Amino acid sequence: MKVTVVRSGGFAGIEQRAESDSARDPVLARLVDRVDLERVPPPGRIPDQFLYEIDIDGDRTTVGEAQLHGPLRELVHHVLGHAR
Amino acid sequence: MRCHIVPPHMLERIATDAGDPALRARARRTLALTSAHSSERRTLAPTAPEPNEDFVPNRTIHDAEHRERLPGRTVRAEGAPATGDKVVDQSYDWLGVTFDFFEAAYRRNSIDGAGLPLVSTVHYGDDYDNAFWNGEQMVYGDGDGVLFTEFTGPLDVTGHELTHGITQYTAGLEYYSQPGALNESVSDVFGSLIKQWHLDQTADQADWLIGAGLLAEGVRGIALRSLKAPGTAYDDPRLGKDPQPGHMDHYVDTYRDNGGVHINSGIPNHAFYLAATSIGGHAWEKAGRVWYDTLTGGRLESDSDFKRFAAATIATATDLYGADGTETRAIREAWNGVGVSP
Repeated sequence: MKVTVVRSGGFAGIEQRAESDSARDPVLARLVDRVDLERVPPPGRIPDQFLYEIDIDGDRTTVGEAQLHGPLRELVHHVLGHAR
Repeated sequence: MRCHIVPPHMLERIATDAGDPALRARARRTLALTSAHSSERRTLAPTAPEPNEDFVPNRTIHDAEHRERLPGRTVRAEGAPATGDKVVDQSYDWLGVTFDFFEAAYRRNSIDGAGLPLVSTVHYGDDYDNAFWNGEQMVYGDGDGVLFTEFTGPLDVTGHELTHGITQYTAGLEYYSQPGALNESVSDVFGSLIKQWHLDQTADQADWLIGAGLLAEGVRGIALRSLKAPGTAYDDPRLGKDPQPGHMDHYVDTYRDNGGVHINSGIPNHAFYLAATSIGGHAWEKAGRVWYDTLTGGRLESDSDFKRFAAATIATATDLYGADGTETRAIREAWNGVGVSP
């Protein structure tokens, strides 16, 4: 599955984007299995917080950094980490 | 596809009118979470202070020790001596300067106008490239050292975050789309004015930059934003190019970043710069006074767009300087200059 993460917001307002394919990334494949985008809480509107848009094969949600926990957090940092 | 970044007025409609009960419940939950942060807003003006009363800050600095838990360990309370930790002491000092600015320039007693304690958490997260106001306190990362240095470094970053608190307690500008870009812009405007006041600069001497000194060595850029020349602060292979427009012709439509709040803020930012430099002198005294009175005077609605904000600044300027005053004319021309016709 194709996973895309876009970070927006933050004081700097600089967007970061990365994508990866679970077919070639076994760590990502395991994380995708543990994530349920339907159960992500709404991001709220905290000034200057980071917002993460996560797209897994067309299923997309946006989460605020204050709500980014557990496997979803691991997935976000795994995908964005590969971008550096 | 689902997307949480929906304007509040749309959420309200979904919460009441949507056919799908799950959708209605979801919209209600989002609204509840959003409004939790504006619940601290004061609807009644605090009691007017005595004319000669000296306001004193009540600062507390916490250390998150590189975790993401708030508030963290208390490391410096008001009146305590310097700790020797550069980041802790810098945050303490900049909170003091920001507090003093609002007292000296506008007779405001802290964020809420009633002496609210100022709380900062520093050393937040690991290589954390951000600072934010969470509705109750300020939070600062140390930066990753490669792209960004410590967010406690520049005075205008602290001024920007603390002004988010003032906006929350006054106009309550919604953090989405144009009202969100105005929320960001007033934080940049007062962030810059605090630095100008601290350095005793006139409008023509100021650098009008936000985040000067925040970019690590080797990054191609001078700051994160420029009120003088939006879109020119940085152009770096790793960070990309400063995306800010300085005119409505280049307004950016996006749902990311709460509808481009950090991008389109360039337009009202530049309007302030044009007004302040046209008026001349200390920018916080006249243009800053007009923006401050507009933000805190009860005239501005929380969902104001650029046009309504512009009209409110002109109405405030008319009260202060008359409809034909040079200041009022400068502000009217400044909004025309960025393509906003009130």
